[in-house]
Amino acid sequence: MPTLIALDASLSMLRPVPGRNDHTYLSLAIKGIQHLLDNLTAAGKLEHLALLSYTTTAELKVDFTRDYDQIRQAVKKVEPVDKACLLTMLKTSVSIMATWGGAPNILQLVVFTDCGLGFGSTSISSFLDTTLADKEEEPEFAWLTTLTNYNLNFICLGLHGDHYFTRGLAVYQQLLDKAGLKGQLFMPKPTKAADTTDGTSNPISNSSHKSELGRTVVFELVERLCEASYKSTEVVLKCGSYFRMEAPVLLWPPTSPYEQPSPVFGRDPTIRHIDQKIEVCGFLALSDIGSPATLSRHWVLPKVEREKNASRRSGGGGVTTKPPKLTLDANNPNFELEKLENDIRDFYAKDPKDTEESGDDADVTIVMKHSSGPPTEQQKENICVLLHGALKLENMAALVLVGEKWYGFIYAYTDNKKKSNLMLNVLPPGTNVIPWIGDLELLGFAEDLAPGETASFPVRADRRSYSQSSVVWIRQASLQSDVQKVLRHAKKMPDKTQHFYKELNRIRRAALALGFVELLEALAMLLEKECAHLTMNGASSECTLQLQHAATELRKTSNRDIKSTIVPLQKGAPEAGSAPAPGYMY
Amino acid sequence: MFEQNQKTIFVLDHTRYFSIASEDYISMDFLKGKPSVDTGTGAGVGGASGLGTQFSKSLWTCACESSIEYCRVVWDLFPGKKHVRFIVSDTAAHIVNTWSTSTQNMSHVMNAMVMVGVPSRSMPQSSDYSVIHGLRAAIEALAEPTDEQLATIASGEPVHIPNEGRVICITSARDNTSMKSLEDIFNTVLIQQNALAGPPAKKGLAIDHCHLVILNIVPLGVESLVTNRGLLNISPLLDVEIHTVSAPDISHKLTHLILDHYNLASTTVTNIPMKEEQNANSSANYDVEILHSRSAHSIACGPDFSLPTSIKPGATYETVTLKWCTPRGCGSADLQPCLGQFLVTPVDVTSRPSSCLINFLLNGRSVLLEMPRKAGSKATSHMLSARGGEIFIHSLCITRSCMDEAPAIGDGPGGRVTDYRTTELGQLMKMSRMVPLKAKDPTAPGLPRRMPRYFPLTNGSSILFHLQRHISWMPHFLHLLVKEDMDKQEEVRCQQHIHELYKSASRGDMLPFTHTNGARLKLSKAKDQYRLLYRELEQLIHLNATTVHHKNLLESLQSLRAAYGEAKSEPNSSLLRSYTESPHSPERLEPIPSGGSSGSNSNSLLKASKRRMSSCGQRSLLDIISSAERSQANKRLDFSGRLCTPLGQVAKLYPDFGNKEKDSLLAGTTAAPNVKEESIRS
Repeated sequence: MPTLIALDASLSMLRPVPGRNDHTYLSLAIKGIQHLLDNLTAAGKLEHLALLSYTTTAELKVDFTRDYDQIRQAVKKVEPVDKACLLTMLKTSVSIMATWGGAPNILQLVVFTDCGLGFGSTSISSFLDTTLADKEEEPEFAWLTTLTNYNLNFICLGLHGDHYFTRGLAVYQQLLDKAGLKGQLFMPKPTKAADTTDGTSNPISNSSHKSELGRTVVFELVERLCEASYKSTEVVLKCGSYFRMEAPVLLWPPTSPYEQPSPVFGRDPTIRHIDQKIEVCGFLALSDIGSPATLSRHWVLPKVEREKNASRRSGGGGVTTKPPKLTLDANNPNFELEKLENDIRDFYAKDPKDTEESGDDADVTIVMKHSSGPPTEQQKENICVLLHGALKLENMAALVLVGEKWYGFIYAYTDNKKKSNLMLNVLPPGTNVIPWIGDLELLGFAEDLAPGETASFPVRADRRSYSQSSVVWIRQASLQSDVQKVLRHAKKMPDKTQHFYKELNRIRRAALALGFVELLEALAMLLEKECAHLTMNGASSECTLQLQHAATELRKTSNRDIKSTIVPLQKGAPEAGSAPAPGYMY
Repeated sequence: MFEQNQKTIFVLDHTRYFSIASEDYISMDFLKGKPSVDTGTGAGVGGASGLGTQFSKSLWTCACESSIEYCRVVWDLFPGKKHVRFIVSDTAAHIVNTWSTSTQNMSHVMNAMVMVGVPSRSMPQSSDYSVIHGLRAAIEALAEPTDEQLATIASGEPVHIPNEGRVICITSARDNTSMKSLEDIFNTVLIQQNALAGPPAKKGLAIDHCHLVILNIVPLGVESLVTNRGLLNISPLLDVEIHTVSAPDISHKLTHLILDHYNLASTTVTNIPMKEEQNANSSANYDVEILHSRSAHSIACGPDFSLPTSIKPGATYETVTLKWCTPRGCGSADLQPCLGQFLVTPVDVTSRPSSCLINFLLNGRSVLLEMPRKAGSKATSHMLSARGGEIFIHSLCITRSCMDEAPAIGDGPGGRVTDYRTTELGQLMKMSRMVPLKAKDPTAPGLPRRMPRYFPLTNGSSILFHLQRHISWMPHFLHLLVKEDMDKQEEVRCQQHIHELYKSASRGDMLPFTHTNGARLKLSKAKDQYRLLYRELEQLIHLNATTVHHKNLLESLQSLRAAYGEAKSEPNSSLLRSYTESPHSPERLEPIPSGGSSGSNSNSLLKASKRRMSSCGQRSLLDIISSAERSQANKRLDFSGRLCTPLGQVAKLYPDFGNKEKDSLLAGTTAAPNVKEESIRS
């Protein structure tokens, strides 16, 4: 999900936060951005981010990148000048996001602002009153339509006791509603004190504001945003029955719900999500799958248990001599197996140590890596990596069931920089979504075939018009080429007699179907002419006889029947007469 | 699901008027391939000229061929989904085909049309001859349910089944008044038909709406008194449009109409390099126009991309022009990010460029299509490829995607582990390759039952799977252990193997691990290896225990473990006996004090195993193949000479030997090949 972070750099952002002399709105916004980056870093640094600061103009500070440090550096250097103009920013964002435009990407816009309304003709209120009312259709405002495809997130910094802010909130919401934009305003929760002491509250002296807006509150807003928009889909991937062949994975970008039209006419569509457990049903060669239409694509990434890992790392630091063992839960149903695997690993791992002790230098180049610390996540085996390796090796894909009558396939995807990872292509729901693979529910294994039955991909369809020898004479040129083909065969007749009659019958049948009897007469005449011409040039009599025969047959009304076929003149008496012909030539 | 275009009915006027010529003449000389010269004067070699040098299609032929072309496109693009029927009308309605799939194809229609034939010129002009019969039959046909509608009715959902349709009537009317009466009659019959569908009679489905397209055709150069009229709402049930076209142009008209009827779009593939027939060395560029669902264009385009369009001379619709990209060795195997795939059909199926493109695709190659971008760069927006004999246009994702850059799997969790059992899983995948079945037995084992119940992910977490590379009987033993239908005989064999292991354990033999590099294990280590091996075996059998035989094995293994575990102090003789004296145990054990011998005689296990192997027999073909493949995969590279020699032929040693000898006479000829082979072997 490409994300454009927009930072309000108007002068009002320089105001100190009431009751917090160490913070300005801007410094809070910057802290918020840093926190957002922290969160996205922890989630794997997968999102492409860009940074934009806006006042009356909008300026792209950092173009889309996965190098978050660039943004960290740039955000510190943003210096406020003049007033905020939200609409200029929105319009600019559309042109910045243009490279990403299109269905498969969900575009995110995250705005850190104190919800200023702007002034004069560029203010939001004037836009709502004049432009949106009657100029929306004008090409100048085409960007508004594009903007409706984005997800707009506003991190609204302000105090509920501040009327300027609350009015801003209302107008921002109005803008979203009126322009039909998808979006959400993230704002601090109003404190009770602010609600009750409406008239008397003095924003600066009111102590309740301390908890209303500050670093923790901004962090909370950012976390709410991450929860709402940046949460990877978490599912369990299962490939076989052994417990190691089943593991929690993250799908990134998160899967979107699918709106499935009701099979019954006129009813509401059902919203479908993919299942919590996605299970491999079998394997297919990538060359058999081809490039079918997919609903969405996702990286399949091993899920890391972050907190556990951290505690383990700190706990394991003290252990020095013995390779630390993973803490295993004896209640785990797979306790025995896990313990066995650990013991075996230890068994292998001890080898080099023992040889080192024996002082044999030649054995230092031992295969097994021996780490003294606890295994990091990278060193712990994971089914995703094994599956990726095997799929890549065999050039295959694993067909997975992602829901009821809903499939996808997992394969090793290599990008143009030769980096590779496991990818899931989610197919449109249904079992008959790839014509050349056939019904996905009817896929089985070679052992399931009936005796003597064979099966292979692709599933063949009925012949289409382009793979039959169709006859279409709408253009005269195609009629011409069909007639010429017959004439070509006619000239080489004794050799090409069969071809000649095959083509002749093809034309005749088509002419009869189209009621094109005129063509039959014309063809008969052409054959007669050809016959006369060939006779003059001394062609074999076999040829002329067949031509004459064909012309006569074409004219017979008795042959205007679907079942009749013109057959070559049988070699009878005339054949005997013409037999010496080659002798003359000689 | 039941859109208006799912039912289309052509009503063809088969009255005497349609036997007249369309006046669009075809010259005979043209057919012979000579440049078309104006009428009559074709002073050819044959000398025959004058009468009959030109001829023309009848109005009937024009109507017939263009309506058949219309359904060719429909059936190519929506096979089995959109239905077209033909009704021929003269003194009565003649039904050419039905809604049933068996009659919804070109060959059925073509054959049936042979029987219809040309309208007779000699039949008397009478009021019996009319297109009205056909229109009445068409309305009845609309009321008949299609197979899909029948299926929905049968599914028992008590809902209204949408039933709309389109009637395309090719006729010829005198003037607007007669056209008006056609409309009125049609509307009246429609209402009557729906009345029949009502409660008392319940005959057929009620028709929700009908779109009537009347093509009024006239010979070339003849003016018609009927005025063209766009879509007009006659009644809530009926919309009518009227087009007057000269006979040779009906096909164009229908191609234009079909775009709207089925929401199709046209793409012209430009710059297709084709070899010339005459001059095979040069190639010229050709264009081929194809039709497909409109979505193929709309789905690919973001708001900032627009496909280049143009209008072909003589056409009345836009076509998107995309440039052919000569495939650079890319088979259709390459997986492209595809947003939608749609069937295509060429506009002109018989032209040489079309058939060249089609054959290229049907032979398994795919073609990427390029569109120009704003910035002057290009993007491959579509791909053409054929699968299963059908040609598809794939709409590709042309916008920048967040999936373009992959997070490297090596950097992720588990990425630094190097000893995954990748080849083994690869083998399993190949054995679990899916095939399309005609019918599926729901009780057939699915993947979870086909995959091993014990499958450690890495070699470093298993002793068994490590050993199977070095002990030849191990793969077979493991195979027997996981058999769901183990029998007595197999159990005995497994018992023997287990016993073998026990003997070697009691001798203190080393297990053949490669990565210990022949280094001597400490005594404790040597014991560990068997303890772990037993534990692993026990887990394996435990996970696969389906028969009583498995349970027997498990029991003896457990007693063995117990025995071995205590062997150091004092062998538990009672437990041991129970195992060794069981009827199928091969011989009585004579435990040798452990630690007495070390790695030096580790081969005894291998030797013993080899003896066993010869007697084990009865391996299934799958076993043999899969174990052969496995051992093949584990082996080092075969001798290169054998690799590049076709199967069944004898590899020639030193193929270059003779040549070199000739070249350099005697110098160094004996040494060189040796060196060469050494380098290969090493």
